[in-house]
Amino acid sequence: MSHLNLNEINELKDIMEDGFADLVEAFVADSEEKLAALHGAIAEGNATRIGELGHSLKGASSNICAAALADIYKKIEAAGRDENLDGVEDMLSQAETAFQEVKAELQAL
Amino acid sequence: MDTPAPASSEAPLKILIADDNQTDRMILSAIVKKMGHTVCTAEDGAIAVEQFKAEQPDIILLDVMMPNMNGQEAAVIIKQLAGEDMVPIIFLTSLQDASDLAACLDSGGDDFLTKPYNKVILQAKINAFSRMRRMNSTLTKQRDVIRANNEHLMHEQEVAKAVYDNVAHSGCLDSPNLKYMLSPFSVFNGDVLLAARKPSGSMHLLLGDFTGHGLPAAIGAMPLAEIFYGMTAKGFNMADIIREINMKLKNVLPVGIFCCACMVNLSFRKQEIEVWMGGLPDYYLYRSKTGELENVASSHLPLGVLSSSAFDASTQKFKLDLGDKFYMWSDGIIEARSPEGDLYGEPRLQSVFKQNKDPEQLFDEIVHDVNQFVGESGKDDDTTLLEVTMIDEASLGKAAIDLSSGAVNGPTDWRMAYALRGETLKTFNPLPVMLNILHDVPTLRSKSGELYTLMAELFSNALEHGVLGLSSELKKGPDGFARYYGERAKAMAEMTDGQVEFVFDHRPTDKGGSLMIRVIDSGKGFDYKSNINNEFKSEGYSGRGIPLIRNICESIEYKGDGNIVEVVIKWQSDHS
Repeated sequence: MSHLNLNEINELKDIMEDGFADLVEAFVADSEEKLAALHGAIAEGNATRIGELGHSLKGASSNICAAALADIYKKIEAAGRDENLDGVEDMLSQAETAFQEVKAELQAL
Repeated sequence: MDTPAPASSEAPLKILIADDNQTDRMILSAIVKKMGHTVCTAEDGAIAVEQFKAEQPDIILLDVMMPNMNGQEAAVIIKQLAGEDMVPIIFLTSLQDASDLAACLDSGGDDFLTKPYNKVILQAKINAFSRMRRMNSTLTKQRDVIRANNEHLMHEQEVAKAVYDNVAHSGCLDSPNLKYMLSPFSVFNGDVLLAARKPSGSMHLLLGDFTGHGLPAAIGAMPLAEIFYGMTAKGFNMADIIREINMKLKNVLPVGIFCCACMVNLSFRKQEIEVWMGGLPDYYLYRSKTGELENVASSHLPLGVLSSSAFDASTQKFKLDLGDKFYMWSDGIIEARSPEGDLYGEPRLQSVFKQNKDPEQLFDEIVHDVNQFVGESGKDDDTTLLEVTMIDEASLGKAAIDLSSGAVNGPTDWRMAYALRGETLKTFNPLPVMLNILHDVPTLRSKSGELYTLMAELFSNALEHGVLGLSSELKKGPDGFARYYGERAKAMAEMTDGQVEFVFDHRPTDKGGSLMIRVIDSGKGFDYKSNINNEFKSEGYSGRGIPLIRNICESIEYKGDGNIVEVVIKWQSDHS
């Protein structure tokens, strides 16, 4: 099953035209950097930072039409905001798996 | 054409996109550029403020949650910097909570756009704000133009007001027998109130209420005041002045603008007022001894309506005792409105008179009652009130005739002859013309009243006793005056070739000047050599003339067959 909503992604390609590849590249670079930062924040137990990073990653993946991935980040954002970090490591590994699949799909387009 | 056509017909805008998320910036930039607008970007709130200063964008898309400075803080600063310029801020937010969205608008945002972005809605919002912005800038420009025009207009009005006040000045309204209230509705008063002493010592008053109020109403007061003051100072009578004013206003005022007016000649010697009234509500004559009120009604159309040939300058005359009062007002008094919209009306005014205990308080009581009635509702017309009291002329002081002065010394060495014949002698009053010439000698100007009286006496003697041959004996007895005037009218009608000539001879003296006036009439004269003693000493009505002349003149001398009289007036300069 695809991680991307194809109708939405076509519309996005329509908007971005030649800039679409740059958008994907920016998304991938931004996500990898912030996932690494999220690892650090979880290790430190910094709930505020976890919330901020979760919010930013959620927005980016939602922009790129990856709804399922955005949902996982939304849970991470909520965990950080509510300062309830139970199970947040599991969420992070789910997110990393999903991100790799989204990345592959995007790069295949 | 490489650049895409704008999605709307409007000129391209510069749009600032502030979002910490790079993919957000890229997608929003792509959408906005596709609409044909140009884009600048910022990664946080602080940079957004800097970009706003540097780029002066037209519309701002502002993310709420950003590092360094969040969107709401940036919005407050940007709105402050923008001042009067309308710079719409659209918040970008994934917030769903109503109170969070409301907080965005409270911080100065104009709208918000929720993530994920909908291209169609974003475009519609940008177009809507572009229209609003253009409208705002048009309104601001128009407001500035209106403000500038208004300032210009106010300045012009102030200058015009200064000129107006000089022309339509209040004359001798500060006389002790007058109390007045002028309460204009705007800078310019559509009501006009003028007072001036005549050379004879009487007082002319004029209350005028022009159609409307403000400048258009006030402008007509200028020629009116000019004529009123000019002709009064020169000794013209009321009928001549009111006729002249009517003709002038008829010529200069547009159709539909006229002047309801009342002109009064207050004669202290005769204890009488003469009233011409047109288009005004009833005025009151208050008898201070009995407390009775007499209505005085308008019997004419307003000034500026009728042509000279149709105009009627006839007047009403009333005898006044000392202390009697005449009240004049513009319709702003009767038509003053209470906060409930009721008119003040005549019954209320009359009850103020009825309840009065001390006539000296009447004026203040009327003003107080009207003000109390109007209350806080504010007025909607010019209101004017004048109280005229009959007093003894002595307590009023001498008439200070105000005429614009010419050269300091004026002509001092001159001679002039002025003769009136036939029909002109019957109908024309030569006194203002002659007085005007004498006024060229500055010091004689201050003797204006005396000169007027003197020349009036000399002229009527020359015409009535000289040319018409009437005997002052006729005036004696109870019916004397009536009989005399009957004879006078008859003789006047029959007269065809009469003449009265005035010769003025003015010479400078060491200390001032000497004016000789010789009056020669075409009559048979009289035996002044034997009559002179009787004539001068006689008491009562008919002999009044000569002692009066004696009082004023240095000398009086009859010559020829008695048809020539010569008087001399000497004056000393105030300047030496």
